[in-house]
Amino acid sequence: MKKKYPWVRAIMILVYAFMFLPIGIVILMSFNASPYGTFPFEFTTKWYELLFSGGDLGQATALSLIFSLLVALAAVLIGLLTAQGMRRIGKRKAAVFSQLLNSAIIVPWLVLGIAMLILFNMTGLGRSYLGMFLGNTVVVLPYVVLLVYPALLEQKPNAESAARTLGASPLRVFWTVTLPGILPAVAAGGLMALMVCFNNFVIQYYLAPFGVRTLPLEIYNLVRVGYKPDINALASIMVVVSVGLVLLVSRLGFGKKKGLFW
Amino acid sequence: MKNLENQTKQAHSRGRSGLASFGLLLPGGGMLALLVAAPLILLIVASFCANDSFSGGFTLANYQQVFADGVFTSLMGKSVLMGLAVTLGCVLLAYPVAYGLAKLVSERARGSLIVLIIIPFFTSQLLLIYSMIVLLQGQGPLMSLLALFGADPSASILYTDAAVFLILLYEFLPYMVLCLYSAIAKIDDNQLRAAQTLGAGRVKRFTSVIFPKSLPGLLSGILLVFVPVTGSFVEPDLAGGSSGMMVGSLINSNFAAAYNLGRGAALSVLFLVILTAITLVINGLLRWAGRGRQRL
Repeated sequence: MKKKYPWVRAIMILVYAFMFLPIGIVILMSFNASPYGTFPFEFTTKWYELLFSGGDLGQATALSLIFSLLVALAAVLIGLLTAQGMRRIGKRKAAVFSQLLNSAIIVPWLVLGIAMLILFNMTGLGRSYLGMFLGNTVVVLPYVVLLVYPALLEQKPNAESAARTLGASPLRVFWTVTLPGILPAVAAGGLMALMVCFNNFVIQYYLAPFGVRTLPLEIYNLVRVGYKPDINALASIMVVVSVGLVLLVSRLGFGKKKGLFW
Repeated sequence: MKNLENQTKQAHSRGRSGLASFGLLLPGGGMLALLVAAPLILLIVASFCANDSFSGGFTLANYQQVFADGVFTSLMGKSVLMGLAVTLGCVLLAYPVAYGLAKLVSERARGSLIVLIIIPFFTSQLLLIYSMIVLLQGQGPLMSLLALFGADPSASILYTDAAVFLILLYEFLPYMVLCLYSAIAKIDDNQLRAAQTLGAGRVKRFTSVIFPKSLPGLLSGILLVFVPVTGSFVEPDLAGGSSGMMVGSLINSNFAAAYNLGRGAALSVLFLVILTAITLVINGLLRWAGRGRQRL
């Protein structure tokens, strides 16, 4: 069957070029001295220096990083409990529950963000760190559960039963027997939650306290104004980090058996 | 082994076990109820309320207002067209790529090619939009290149609907590729060979084997692409120019700059209802087409 579909191969090459041309250009431009992103090309690293000299972008990155870590931590903890609970109630009831989780992914973030803002405004919470934290956590929770639950199902319950029979408390069984077995999936879920939250513009746009700018909000404001070469530098760093994380996640959870997408 | 498992299960008292499961599901289920279900119900209620404090009683005024000036109808139509165009573009490009990934490339190349497709998932939506703007902008790389062939370097498709289309296609193509790939990878090679041996040409092999077998992936791909594309507001805002507004921009304008609760809620509800209806119709049509094919 090989080497038989030249047009399929041609479209593949075209699509990959389309996907990576813009990213490639941004990386190229991050080393271009022109402040407007125009040619001729002149090599410089000054945009990277500008980025690390403590401007607004650096501050926003730090805020987003800490915030996303907290959200990912909460999502992993709640996701572990949820997945464990889903395993205990049996496959049929668990399927109903995972439909509920999917609804949090299917409802557009635009509508969900607005709906949460209405609720927070009504309860007096308003735009606040707590509201933003809750909103982002519920949005990334499904990703964690969808990765952890299948891993949990694959675990044989015998070792856990043995540990229980030998007198270990349920918490100890979970900590010493269950968790080590599903650790790769938990790590993959945590990373996924971290990245989705770190990059989530829409939910933060509606729930962030006034005046607080996480990285997506900061980039939005900069792009609205126009071309900013230090965004290129930041984008290049983020793409490199993303590649590393994707490789890590695919090692941990995706590649081997069935994962989130296939 | 199954017996042992059942015995241990029975050994724990049934009531306590049920309570424990409930306790485990409480934080996650509670969050979904309070932060997804409750806000959506509140949104629907707000759309029927006369004023922002939920005290004015039941009214249809918000919906009447929405339809009064015709802005919603025209923007919704435009957005649905954009959603359909981007989804169609994704399907047309993603089928060959997914087929190639599943059936043509070598095992080793497949791993790296799939990792490449996933990278945009882990990259900020705003950076993807931004990188496309950099590529397309006047005097930018693309226009400088075209200028070598005599084009005006300061002219550009940026700030038109065409730019918004390209950006959305760029953002959502990976979703469709992954959904179709996961479905096509499950098709048995023997089935394709059998069809070939029985004299089915390429078109016939696609319509009677690949299409019906990849239908579940196609349907979830359409759901993942069509719904968010139709509701997008960041892309038209940043790259659509002054006439680039879509229905998402209209909904957003009632919540970001001003806080126009009743009207914005009515818009959101209508938007959700129309999108759900269109998605169901597309699903029904494709399922019908797939079933008809499989009988052949």
